[in-house]
Amino acid sequence: MKVTVLYVGSSLLAPLRNAEAQINQRYALDVQIATHNFGSIFTDDEWLKIEGELNESEVIFVIHVMDGENATRLIPLLDQLRRQRTIVVTNCMPALMRRTRMGKLDFAKLPGASAKSEGQRAKSQGQSAKSKKSESVDGDPESLLKSIASWVSRQSRSGKSNGHGRADYLKWADRLPRLMRYLPNAGPLRDAKNYLMLMSYFLQPTPQNIQSMILLALKSYVDDERLKSIEIPQPEAVASVAIYHPDAPSLFESFSDYEHWYFRDRSKNKEPSTNHKTDSLDPTATIGLLLMRPQIVSHSRKHYDALIRAIEAEGLSVIPAISTLMDNREACEKFFVKQGSGVGSRESRVRRGKATDHGQRTTDKRKARVSQIVSLTGFSFVGGPAMNDSVAAADYLKELNVPYRSLVSLDAQTIESWRESFTGLNPVQTGMQVAIPEIDGATEPFVFGGIPARGVEPAPLEDRCVRIAKRINRWNRLQEAGRSELKIALVIYCFPPNKGNIGTAADLDVFASLLDVLKELKGQGYDVDPPASCEALRDLLLNGNSAEFETNANVAYRMPVDEYRILNPFVSDIEHEWGAAPGAINAKDGELLIQGIALGNIFIGVQPTFGYEDDPMRLLMAKGGTPHHGFAAFYTYLEKVFQADAVVHVGTHGAMEFMPGKQVGMSGECWPDRLIGELPNIYVYSVNNPSEGTIAKRRSYAGLISYLTPPIENAGLYRGLASLKDLIGSYRVAHDAAERAQLYASIEEARKELNLAIH
Amino acid sequence: MTETVLMKSRIDVKERDARVTQLHEQLIEIEQRLIPTGLHVFGRAAELKEKADLLRMVASFDRPEQGARALPKLVAEGLGFDTEAVNESPANETRELIDGIVAESIKLFCEKGSDEAAAFLNKNANVMNDESAPTFALLEKVSQQLDSNREIDSLMRSLRGEYIEPGPGADIVQNPFVLPTGRNTHAVNPYSVPSRAAFDRAKHTADALLRRYLDEHGRYPRALALVLWGLDNIKTQGEGVAQALWLLGVRPVRDTLNRATEVEVIPLDELKRPRIDVVMTVSGIFRDLFTPTMALLDKAVRRVAQLDEPPEMNYLRANISNSTENATGDFDDAVTRVFSNAPGNYGANVNFMVMQSAWENEASLGDLFVTRKCFAYIRDSQGGTVEGREAPQLMDAALSRVEATYQNIDSFEVGITDVDHYFEYLGGISKAVETRAQAKPSIYLSDSLSPQTKIRSLEETVRLESRTKTLNPKWYEGMLKHGFRGGAEIENHVTNTFGWSATADAVDPWIYTEITKTFLLDEQMFQRLLELNQYSVQSLAKRLLEAHERGYWNPNEEVLERLREIIDQIRLAAEHSPTERAVASS
Repeated sequence: MKVTVLYVGSSLLAPLRNAEAQINQRYALDVQIATHNFGSIFTDDEWLKIEGELNESEVIFVIHVMDGENATRLIPLLDQLRRQRTIVVTNCMPALMRRTRMGKLDFAKLPGASAKSEGQRAKSQGQSAKSKKSESVDGDPESLLKSIASWVSRQSRSGKSNGHGRADYLKWADRLPRLMRYLPNAGPLRDAKNYLMLMSYFLQPTPQNIQSMILLALKSYVDDERLKSIEIPQPEAVASVAIYHPDAPSLFESFSDYEHWYFRDRSKNKEPSTNHKTDSLDPTATIGLLLMRPQIVSHSRKHYDALIRAIEAEGLSVIPAISTLMDNREACEKFFVKQGSGVGSRESRVRRGKATDHGQRTTDKRKARVSQIVSLTGFSFVGGPAMNDSVAAADYLKELNVPYRSLVSLDAQTIESWRESFTGLNPVQTGMQVAIPEIDGATEPFVFGGIPARGVEPAPLEDRCVRIAKRINRWNRLQEAGRSELKIALVIYCFPPNKGNIGTAADLDVFASLLDVLKELKGQGYDVDPPASCEALRDLLLNGNSAEFETNANVAYRMPVDEYRILNPFVSDIEHEWGAAPGAINAKDGELLIQGIALGNIFIGVQPTFGYEDDPMRLLMAKGGTPHHGFAAFYTYLEKVFQADAVVHVGTHGAMEFMPGKQVGMSGECWPDRLIGELPNIYVYSVNNPSEGTIAKRRSYAGLISYLTPPIENAGLYRGLASLKDLIGSYRVAHDAAERAQLYASIEEARKELNLAIH
Repeated sequence: MTETVLMKSRIDVKERDARVTQLHEQLIEIEQRLIPTGLHVFGRAAELKEKADLLRMVASFDRPEQGARALPKLVAEGLGFDTEAVNESPANETRELIDGIVAESIKLFCEKGSDEAAAFLNKNANVMNDESAPTFALLEKVSQQLDSNREIDSLMRSLRGEYIEPGPGADIVQNPFVLPTGRNTHAVNPYSVPSRAAFDRAKHTADALLRRYLDEHGRYPRALALVLWGLDNIKTQGEGVAQALWLLGVRPVRDTLNRATEVEVIPLDELKRPRIDVVMTVSGIFRDLFTPTMALLDKAVRRVAQLDEPPEMNYLRANISNSTENATGDFDDAVTRVFSNAPGNYGANVNFMVMQSAWENEASLGDLFVTRKCFAYIRDSQGGTVEGREAPQLMDAALSRVEATYQNIDSFEVGITDVDHYFEYLGGISKAVETRAQAKPSIYLSDSLSPQTKIRSLEETVRLESRTKTLNPKWYEGMLKHGFRGGAEIENHVTNTFGWSATADAVDPWIYTEITKTFLLDEQMFQRLLELNQYSVQSLAKRLLEAHERGYWNPNEEVLERLREIIDQIRLAAEHSPTERAVASS
């Protein structure tokens, strides 16, 4: 017996494999389950294999497939098989949903699923969905069927709907088993009931439910004596909104239960965290995580566990909440916000939108139970997989006012393909899991886990989990430390490299900006004494000891090669490319020169350049290897010697984020990741350059602060051009032929003088 | 006899008038060109003496999402003209009338507010108040936001680990909702491009491009090389991408999730012109931000290459069948049209080479471009994804057929002499084409942000940029207000202008002469610059001397002597600078 499951995601493979083994063992069957992750892009050879397996299968499941290209190739294959095979399609795009065929149940023949054009369909069903309340279906098999049809069709409108269309996903999980009672086991509705039962299992994808799902399909649609006597259990139910913790025996449906467990039972085995002096979670040291429900339910959660432990290893606590997929505000509201802290009024304020001023702290952060929110769902904050309401997301997060991160689990490619790829994430994942969360204001798009090529469930990327956890901890320090303790590095550029270009940045007066920032930092309590004027600041930077070292700027620190070797773990990689440290760039007498000035706890540093000017041959290389020693030493200095708490890159743009490595989804081998290390990175960036800014955001984990472009005015006319316009004006109003001729001669003369050509 | 003389003089008068009108149009083009004046200081409100120019431009576009109509169109309608009148030449009388009324209403808006301005439009152009109200409401919001600034506050909040609200990125004119600044700028969903609006605008622009080539050459270009950047494609929701699709004669098709993942061929009888072969060189940033779009472009090329159409109507197919017959015969090779950097690498480096004067002959600049940008990103015939295969021969072959190069410019804020990347890309590819096709391509740029899309040759654009920026007192005085940084900006503009000589020989010698006169030979200006940023003055003089040495400009010996003198003078001064000596001896 053969079953093929075409799915997208990382939570189904393990339960399917488990089901295959269990079924064969318990019932002495020979069920084979072929699986393909349809988040991938397939070659012709792979398609041939898929086609072969579909042909051999009695039952075909298609789950979560939304990709147009894969669907386009799959549909004709399904159409060929529809007459002889059982095809179960759930949670897919409508063109696929209509291919469901189980016994007498044929989705193509459901009301509203006829072969009208796509556009008409969406429109007419939109109306019918509106006119018919789905709540009225209880107890009425006829309207239940219609309701399935309309639910199927509503999935088709998700691209532009307001988010309510798909929100009943979870409602169905709760309601379906209840509705089952009303349906007879035999007769014309038998197949519809089977479909709903399969859905009930699938919506709660525990290992047992997935096993039941496979068994029910086989038992109902494969004619084999051995299947007839198998008893299939009712669906197991798992809470839809809850807190998960790897150490806990079960899920917590309330925050207080979780908190209670966290301090009583959990601490029996663990040293209590030093951050918690009482028995309540300290909001300043607690990270809110949003987890995918299917991963929790199906026990595909090793990557979550590793990240949770990495964060706890930093002395922080966690609230790992199961995401309310279509709208994470529900989960946040329930678990990340203190009850009775005035959030009741939030809804109305959010509705009105834009009522509050930008940047104004609208809510006391203490109302949040968490200091940061980290989404592991890979989807938009409001809207789920198929759409995004980023205005609602930003309004909500602005109110909560804690940083929002969205991390990436490799669900549509393997860990190996990511690791070996120069590009990193594949386009599907970049679009869905990076580009869309960014519109919600998410930063730090780290890859934290994924499915290994030979594995069946997600595994963590341990080094990434540790890096994320440490960075999160650094951001927490920024929130909590006294301003006078914090060390901040302000990084400026010098490009093309000569003294005259210190403080390069598109459209920005860097020195004036720096001085204003220094003054504000002092006002906020940071330990800094701003120079008296722009000129004084520039003099400190440009001159100082720069003549002595023949550098463009003052040398703030001389890093001996020995120290550099100890502090920078990647020296040998760089030596492979640039020769023995310290090399020729930003170096003198065996020391690496860090250019900049220290003003109290604020360091203003001049970022080194790519290093082409000292070695023009490098320009000719088709692809680059590594930054030079001087470049690496600069960031080593910031993190390890100066020990910055944060780095602010001042202006558009520097070179660090363009250093070689993957395009998106950095690994520990990628240079931007190695250079920025654990440092929180804030990037002051021109508002008219969203493209290069996004490179900084993705490759060097920068949070951008946009700045205005310079005033725009009409160019106007000047000197000769202005006089020429006057001449032309006179010519246009002159009537006398001689006068016109004379004016024309003057115009011609001026034209030539001004090098204006006429064709 | 007398009759012919009369005739001739009448023709002369007519021709004279036409020439004056053309000159007039050129002056208006310069005069009304929007330029950035100066630099921004982080955290400070816009230093706009005069918001009117900017607001007038903001008001020149329909903003359907705000229900706001373009004021010039409202005025045209109110006066009973066709709305197309707003696209007439600026020297056209109707257009002058409309522009005059709009300008006056904006002036009133700035001085006395919305009500007065609306009343003026009502009285003078029969525009109903409720028609103009949404536009003035938008202007009011923009105006207020320009008067305030929360950037430093946002930076401080970010340093306290607070949430920074996301916001779009674009020119203010293009998308006034980039205000307020101080937000976490985001890109776009790559599957959303090209948007429908972008496709409509692109048709217009690409048609104008083809028309211009047709006017100049009497036929369509058989192959075009396009430069695609992330910058304008984010800001315009994929106008450059849409232009490429339209030139090929296909339109994007959206799937049920509203993602542009397929293309549909536009029949020839609807297209009414041949399909153009397009070679796309894509920036590393575009590659990263628009990976699915690269696949869409490759798909479009493959679809068009396989159409059974006569060669004179499908240049791509014709070019490919020629090359498959001759060379290896591999379809995947012959159809490769999407090129970018090696994975994880960025830039063509042509800019670095020019700035460092690290080149001997111009051809090496084009060769460098191909070296860096010859990585093919395609799906092969077996469905395999090719992530950047180094393919210089394929790129050479594709470029060898190119007759015109082109880049879409969507911005008033960033022009071709403002940054080095334009000559790095459009200049680099043009030089690469020149040596490979053995003929200099026609080089074009569009001005896609103006309500009236305009195609200009590179030479025209360099002249316009030089006249409106580098040589314009309004521009350089704006820069000089920022002292040291302003001095560096002036020098950068000259170097970027020089880049267009090096890569495309597109700079008239008079431009160098005027630059020299304005900044170095004018003693007062020279002293000012020296005071502000002597290092940049030195670089400026060196660059001008280099322009002469490389044969782009031939000033008299006196000028050359002065340039050398300046370079020496600054070098000596730096060596004897009291601060540096003091430090050195301490």
